[in-house]
Amino acid sequence: MKTKNILTFSKAHFVALTATSLIGALGFLWPFLISTQVAHPQWIFLCATPLALAIFLISVSNGALDAKSVALLALLSALVAALRPLGTGAVGIEPMWFLLILSARVFGPSFGFLLGALSMLLSALITGGTGPWLAYQCFAAAWIALGVGLIPRRVRGSLEITALVGYAILAAEFFGIAMDLQFWPWYLGVDSQLSFSVGAPLTENLSNFMSYHFLSALAWDIPRAIFTSVLIVITGKPVLGALRRAHTRAAFLSPIEFRNLTANERAMGKMAAKQ
Amino acid sequence: MIKFSNVSLIYPHSTKTVLEDLNCEIQEGEMVLVMGQTGSGKSSLLRLINGLVPHHTGGILAGDISVDGLSTRELKPGALAHLVGIVGQNPINGFVTDVVEEEIAFGMEALNFAPDVMRKRVEEVLDLLSLNAVRSRAISSLSGGEQQRVAIAAALVMHPKVLVLDEPTSALDPIAAEEVLSVLHRLVHDLSVTVIMAEHRLERVIQFVDRIIYIEGNGETSIGSAEEILSKSELVPPIIRLARALNLSELGTSVREVRRLTTDIRNIPVADIDSATRTHLPAIDVDSLTVKYGAQTALRDVSTSVGRGEIVALMGRNGAGKSSLLEAIVGVLKPSSGAVRVYEQNPAELAGKNRRERIGYVPQEPSDLLYHQSVRQECQEADLQAGLKDGTTLSFLDKLVPRISHDAHPHDLSEGQRLALVLSIVLSGDPQLLILDEPTRGLDYQAKTLFTRALKEYASRLNYPVLLATHDVELVAELVDRVIFLAEGEIVADGSTLDVLLSSPAFAPQVAKIMAPQPWLTVDHVVSALAEKL
Repeated sequence: MKTKNILTFSKAHFVALTATSLIGALGFLWPFLISTQVAHPQWIFLCATPLALAIFLISVSNGALDAKSVALLALLSALVAALRPLGTGAVGIEPMWFLLILSARVFGPSFGFLLGALSMLLSALITGGTGPWLAYQCFAAAWIALGVGLIPRRVRGSLEITALVGYAILAAEFFGIAMDLQFWPWYLGVDSQLSFSVGAPLTENLSNFMSYHFLSALAWDIPRAIFTSVLIVITGKPVLGALRRAHTRAAFLSPIEFRNLTANERAMGKMAAKQ
Repeated sequence: MIKFSNVSLIYPHSTKTVLEDLNCEIQEGEMVLVMGQTGSGKSSLLRLINGLVPHHTGGILAGDISVDGLSTRELKPGALAHLVGIVGQNPINGFVTDVVEEEIAFGMEALNFAPDVMRKRVEEVLDLLSLNAVRSRAISSLSGGEQQRVAIAAALVMHPKVLVLDEPTSALDPIAAEEVLSVLHRLVHDLSVTVIMAEHRLERVIQFVDRIIYIEGNGETSIGSAEEILSKSELVPPIIRLARALNLSELGTSVREVRRLTTDIRNIPVADIDSATRTHLPAIDVDSLTVKYGAQTALRDVSTSVGRGEIVALMGRNGAGKSSLLEAIVGVLKPSSGAVRVYEQNPAELAGKNRRERIGYVPQEPSDLLYHQSVRQECQEADLQAGLKDGTTLSFLDKLVPRISHDAHPHDLSEGQRLALVLSIVLSGDPQLLILDEPTRGLDYQAKTLFTRALKEYASRLNYPVLLATHDVELVAELVDRVIFLAEGEIVADGSTLDVLLSSPAFAPQVAKIMAPQPWLTVDHVVSALAEKL
């Protein structure tokens, strides 16, 4: 027998995760996929995306989380959520990504997925930044943390930090694209040159989007990538150390054994104790 | 109520047996003390009772523990929650809500009690623990004793049959400790709750307990009445050391008992101990210092001075302004008015190397100063900072506490070991002034003896002053030359240890209470005063 493991998704969870992610992905990508004039297609996804996420979170938290995982998840979500508004959010400087990525690295992608979604939700509640974009942000953060699982487990030392920095740059860019995608159809209105036009060919919309994204990336994504990378380089070693220590101390998957000592063993134990 | 049969415990990845073949049965309504050196497995024993060990921590458990007929082998800790209430070492870390009433109701909420039952029980428990007056206050605004009582109330409201407490009085001043212990006493006697607690401050608890489980370093245990265990144990409170020193025919656990046994000795006329006050060159000068936090005044017009080579204790209730005074002297707290001079300098203006050489400061939570990954790294850093030869700090630490593992993580050390580490780091630079804020919470008697010796050596060898805030009257009696007593931000008494401690019944050490009206504070005083007579 062993103590419970930290949260890891089972096969059934992964099937559910794929389905949920698919809905989430559609929520981001719909502007490229529709070809006919529909009245406000975004509303469908505005409802579907948060619902999909909520259903998935509920299904996972039913039974798969033990007390220690819950405590760890709560503490880290609070930390990440509190870090987010510290950078005032201007030009993408949000000091939360480094901790999210490092935590996901130590505690695994499944835990990271939940942590990403929950901490975004929590920080939105703290700062009052709730709105239709919230579910998209949750999804994007959750995917970013999930993706940390792509870095091989056994990589350690400075190679690990390098890999994490590389990942952080990709993640910052990914978050930028994702946020632009959900913003783009709403933000620019119908008349601007870079705006989304319903029914236009895919290439035209794609090129419009890329131009729009390029403009916003200069202001937001590049500072975000630099800031997160620098934080990982500076704090990576001690923070990873502290988190790994917490992982060890929490004694996930420690063996539990109940047994009865034989008379012989008992005598041996006493002798060992006396020496 | 609780039955340990042949219990042995080993943690995974460790070769040391924590407990070895423990057999004992604790009856309903018994009050049992678990004692042993720091790190001997007291907390493990307590957490075996509700199954946290090994269900949460892992480990090999041999034998069986049953609570009210239920075996912890089969049941998870959650299934014992209604039966065993547990109060952790530092209650403030365990609180989940902000307000007293809500905190008490929280556990029942989690166990799905009906609202009307919850309401009734909250009222009951508020009365039982006399918390009605503070029921709607924020927990953070309560005193240490009140917080401890809230933690007990929150555990008790589920009507557990067993109450488990880990060091319930360590962080409390003597009066708050009395408060908590008398509540426990009442629970045992009126409600027949079974109470099991671990505690270092034996002098406070032994008079209340029915039996003691003594865990020796190697995992072996012995169980018996207080007199039986204490007559053989190495860890003994001053009251027992006194009985041993005086060769009394029997041991007593309360002041009253020992007073009866020592009537003859008290009546021997002896010469006064010469309390000639040495004059010291002043090292710290505090001149009409006032410190305010917002509208609240922490210190009001405090003036005093501390001389070189003096060891001075600051005493007083929780919240009397002890920490504020220390922080103002260290220079981390800006006074609202008045001035502090340390060796004729303003401590707030000291910086860098200059500051390290002047002031050594051990804050209330010593681990705040530790941020490296191992004991060795911490010590190397200290050598580097102080410009010492490599290994100086480490060898000082080895002298202070032998057998400390150099590769251990500082936060994995026991309370006493951690304090020793911080002390060695701070003392490595031989600062000209040493300031300690509540240094001895969680220390056992042996660790305290080492600590006392190290401080005395520092003060006499270098002729530098030591200033410490503490609740520990026994430590004060052993260690310090002078006591400053604070209340409500003002100095209400300032004088030699003897004068101040003897004049206050609450803060008098046990030996002084027994030997009153003779002016003896410690066992050593008694022995040396009686040396010629006996």
